[in-house]
Amino acid sequence: MSIEGALRYYLGTGIGKGVLRFERLRNEWRLRHRAPKTSSPFSPPLSTSPWLKELISRHYLTGRYADAHRKVAWVTSGAPVEFLKALGYYLLYPENHGAVCGIRRRGEELCQAAEEAGYSRDICSYARTDLGSLLSGRTPVGRLPKPDLLLCCTNICQTVLFWYRVLAAHFRVPLVIIDTPFIYSTAPAHAVDFVQRQLELGVETAERVAGRSIDPAELERVTRRSREAVELWMRVLERARHVPAPITAFDEFIHMGPIVEMRGDRATVDYYRALLATLDLRIARGTGALKQERIRLIWDNLPIWYRMRGLSELLARHGATLVASTYTNAWGELAALIDPSDPMRSAARVYLHPILNRGTGHKLDTIQRLATDYAAHGVILHSDRSCKPYSVGQMDQRERLSARGIPALLLEADHNDPRAFADEQAENRIQAFLEMIPS
Amino acid sequence: MNAAGIGVDAGSTVVKACAVTAAGSRIWQHVELTEPRLEEQARRIAALAREQAGAAPLVATGYGRKLVAGAERAITEITCHARGVFAELGSGGTVVDIGGQDSKVISVGADGSVRNFAMNDKCAAGTGRFLEVTAARLRLAVEEIGAMALAAAEEVPISSTCAVFAESEIVSLIARGAALEAIVRGLHRSLVARLASLVRSLGIVEPVALSGGVARNPAIAAFLAEALGCEVKLPEAPQLMGAYGAALLALD
Amino acid sequence: MAPISIPGRREAIEDQRAAGGGLAAVFPVHNPRALLRSFGLLPVEVWGPPSARGDRAAAHLQAYTCSLVRCGLSFVLAGGLDRADCIVVPHACDSLQGLGSLLLDFVKPSPPVLPYYLPRGERDVDRAYLTAEIESLAERLARIAGRELDRAELHARLDREEQADRAAAALIDDRRRLGLSNRRLYELLRSREYLPAERFCALADSALEARGEMEAAGVPVLLSGLVPEPASVLDALDAAGACVVADDMACAGRRIYRACAFDDPLERQAARLLSGPPDSTRDCSMGARVAHLCELAERSGARGVIFFDVKFCEPELFYLPRLQAGLREAGLACLACEVDLADALPDQILTRLEAFVEMLS
Repeated sequence: MSIEGALRYYLGTGIGKGVLRFERLRNEWRLRHRAPKTSSPFSPPLSTSPWLKELISRHYLTGRYADAHRKVAWVTSGAPVEFLKALGYYLLYPENHGAVCGIRRRGEELCQAAEEAGYSRDICSYARTDLGSLLSGRTPVGRLPKPDLLLCCTNICQTVLFWYRVLAAHFRVPLVIIDTPFIYSTAPAHAVDFVQRQLELGVETAERVAGRSIDPAELERVTRRSREAVELWMRVLERARHVPAPITAFDEFIHMGPIVEMRGDRATVDYYRALLATLDLRIARGTGALKQERIRLIWDNLPIWYRMRGLSELLARHGATLVASTYTNAWGELAALIDPSDPMRSAARVYLHPILNRGTGHKLDTIQRLATDYAAHGVILHSDRSCKPYSVGQMDQRERLSARGIPALLLEADHNDPRAFADEQAENRIQAFLEMIPS
Repeated sequence: MNAAGIGVDAGSTVVKACAVTAAGSRIWQHVELTEPRLEEQARRIAALAREQAGAAPLVATGYGRKLVAGAERAITEITCHARGVFAELGSGGTVVDIGGQDSKVISVGADGSVRNFAMNDKCAAGTGRFLEVTAARLRLAVEEIGAMALAAAEEVPISSTCAVFAESEIVSLIARGAALEAIVRGLHRSLVARLASLVRSLGIVEPVALSGGVARNPAIAAFLAEALGCEVKLPEAPQLMGAYGAALLALD
Repeated sequence: MAPISIPGRREAIEDQRAAGGGLAAVFPVHNPRALLRSFGLLPVEVWGPPSARGDRAAAHLQAYTCSLVRCGLSFVLAGGLDRADCIVVPHACDSLQGLGSLLLDFVKPSPPVLPYYLPRGERDVDRAYLTAEIESLAERLARIAGRELDRAELHARLDREEQADRAAAALIDDRRRLGLSNRRLYELLRSREYLPAERFCALADSALEARGEMEAAGVPVLLSGLVPEPASVLDALDAAGACVVADDMACAGRRIYRACAFDDPLERQAARLLSGPPDSTRDCSMGARVAHLCELAERSGARGVIFFDVKFCEPELFYLPRLQAGLREAGLACLACEVDLADALPDQILTRLEAFVEMLS
């Protein structure tokens, strides 16, 4: 944390931010003045897209210089980050970095780098992408800041435990584990106590690493902004209940960046407020994300990052789109549990209850509720080779959905490793599935 | 003839046999396709070896090694290939043995002993079987595809390393009108990518040498050298290295 | 010396029934055996079983789920656990988590399904949580067994389990003089998965009494991984001339816990489950596992380590690269194999095992 580091941080991020703002303005101008493609089945991109791009790029730009000037923590996507935010940490999400690599088609190459170091092809492709990036030094975002602290919360999977054990051995920095007991039916009080107690221990470690104490007022502020952002995100998602849907789950997969990575930031709240206004404008004008929306589908599991565009276009050719997903929903559905006046206890409850930390029956109920609320015609269950906690149970869920008159397709793929995805088979299956849906 | 050691390599596709003198030079060899009744075949070949090269201790290797009657010892092809290639090239290093059913990368010490090794997993990815399956789908003889791959002006990427997935990928490539030569070149690249991963997982110790029947395919050596960024040596008779190593081990 | 006779699973179950006792089918890895015994239930572990094949489970589980879970579910679907009084599913990984959840929400077998969560640390908070979790499990067991928790009885059962741990450790330590093949050794060690602790102790004692002066030959190796199934792997090791002299299997050595002293027997049971050697399913650090394996090798004279794992087992697979690097640095050779429990041992694995032993000898 030298003066030179600080200089580099402010100079680098300052100049970078200027460049990104300029790009955003240019993109916004283009979006306004570009003649819409008449052949495309899609409506023009959301007008806030350039803003989103700026927001995300700025986050990674800050990351490039962060370790010279700020404390850095690497965290799992479902981790309770409010206390780290309140302590001024810069947060990096290896899973999101994995997704960025996936979207930019770098997943396979990085997975291979990890496999060459001995990591089996049967472990999660996010982990392989991240470890591959770590071992080879390659990343599409320029540079990842080194962590001073690792925060691993098991409310999304057990995979992160082992992954973070590898990171801890690699970086030799403290690892905070927030172990969130899986909820088979309801969470017992001792599980909430356990998570809360671990959060308190986590705060102690984070304070020690940061060299300062947490300011309760700041923690409350961050928690309040988190809640605000989560509520706004939920409202963004709910706009897709409208027919035609002004936003699709494909858009949401991209737009979820801030709610995952920048929860608790002012900028995130501002952004989602603007996005909501844009969607309302679309609804008022009767504009859907798809020009001709015939079939509305629910998506279960992570996106197939490297085939997002292809899948979206394939569905669009048949007048189909995704109007909701259990995945994007996961970051909104717990809003009501967040209580800024009791940040620690409420965090313990919130972070214990994500869909991935709950039983397979609960997921079935969620999918069915989404199908009703969003007036969906069917469900695509992405059977993700890399994500067992999300995928185990899907075969029974598919069975039950079909029995209840909701057609459901099990699509075999992997969220980040294109080698586990067979285009032709997938396309065939999806097409046959769409033909099956009466419309 | 006065053989001092005999090696029989009962492989999944081809049975190879070889006899050496006490000084270790090859004086007799024999190669034939593996028959379903491997036990009988092995007995016949062992008898043939003794008849033509002289009675000598016999070491069996290859996946059918335990079926070779009259063998003093059965030793894995890993140890045998390492020994054979070591004798042939006169140094340690890395041996890449591409067999019909499995591929191995063997790290050989300066004394010819096995230091470490890695093998492909159960599926056919990275083995001769991968080329066999895909060549058959293209109605090509497996002997001609190497030269074809090298001569191809273009290359289409094949992302699947799995033989089953690759087969369906080929079907769609053909449907899209891709050139046969370009597909063949892509297939070789895919196989070599898998092998190169296996080599790197063990760490590259030069020289890198090929052995096993698939090594006769010229595109494999060329692409592997490219992928690893180092020279890849080819013994005179790569297919025989297992049997040769076994014969040498029979001398011990 | 007289060969020892190891009672089979069926015999143990029938004896328990004949004595009027109940049965608890338990899935891997860490189980409160003493607690179950204190309620009159004999814990019988379900590691697959390999004989169940994975076919029946194919309607519920994707092909990328490990065979341990697939076979386990197949066994449940085939009615294999219908006679049990309850099915205990510890939370050991994402796949066993999924199995527990599937059983509760969709499969709904006739015996009650009791999942419980094992925390992933060894901190005071972990023990406090696990104590509460064990207490909640005890309440559920009380309803099934129709009797209250007897704290003195639980203490007594814990004493017996600790004794059985010492017996298992002694067997491995004296392994060279037992005159047992690798397969026989594991049949003996793994009989603990279904025998009452006191019977296991008696069996271990007779094996130790029968030991000879001669040390068995064979290339000394350390066996790590989940479970030695298919068991033909042990025959293969015997045939290749290897002698397993140290063990780090999840089904065996990783469950030789430390003796724990607490006044509250529930806390003692909890502490016990957290006190085992470093284990992947308990999320132990890389360094701790490397150190433990090195120590095992040094004490036993093992020259190499064989990791024998179930395909798709993420907990095990994540550790392998760093464990192997650490062990090689310490001069130990390593071999990693992955298998499907229900399949015959593939030729490639046989070749690998043999080549590894050739390399060490």
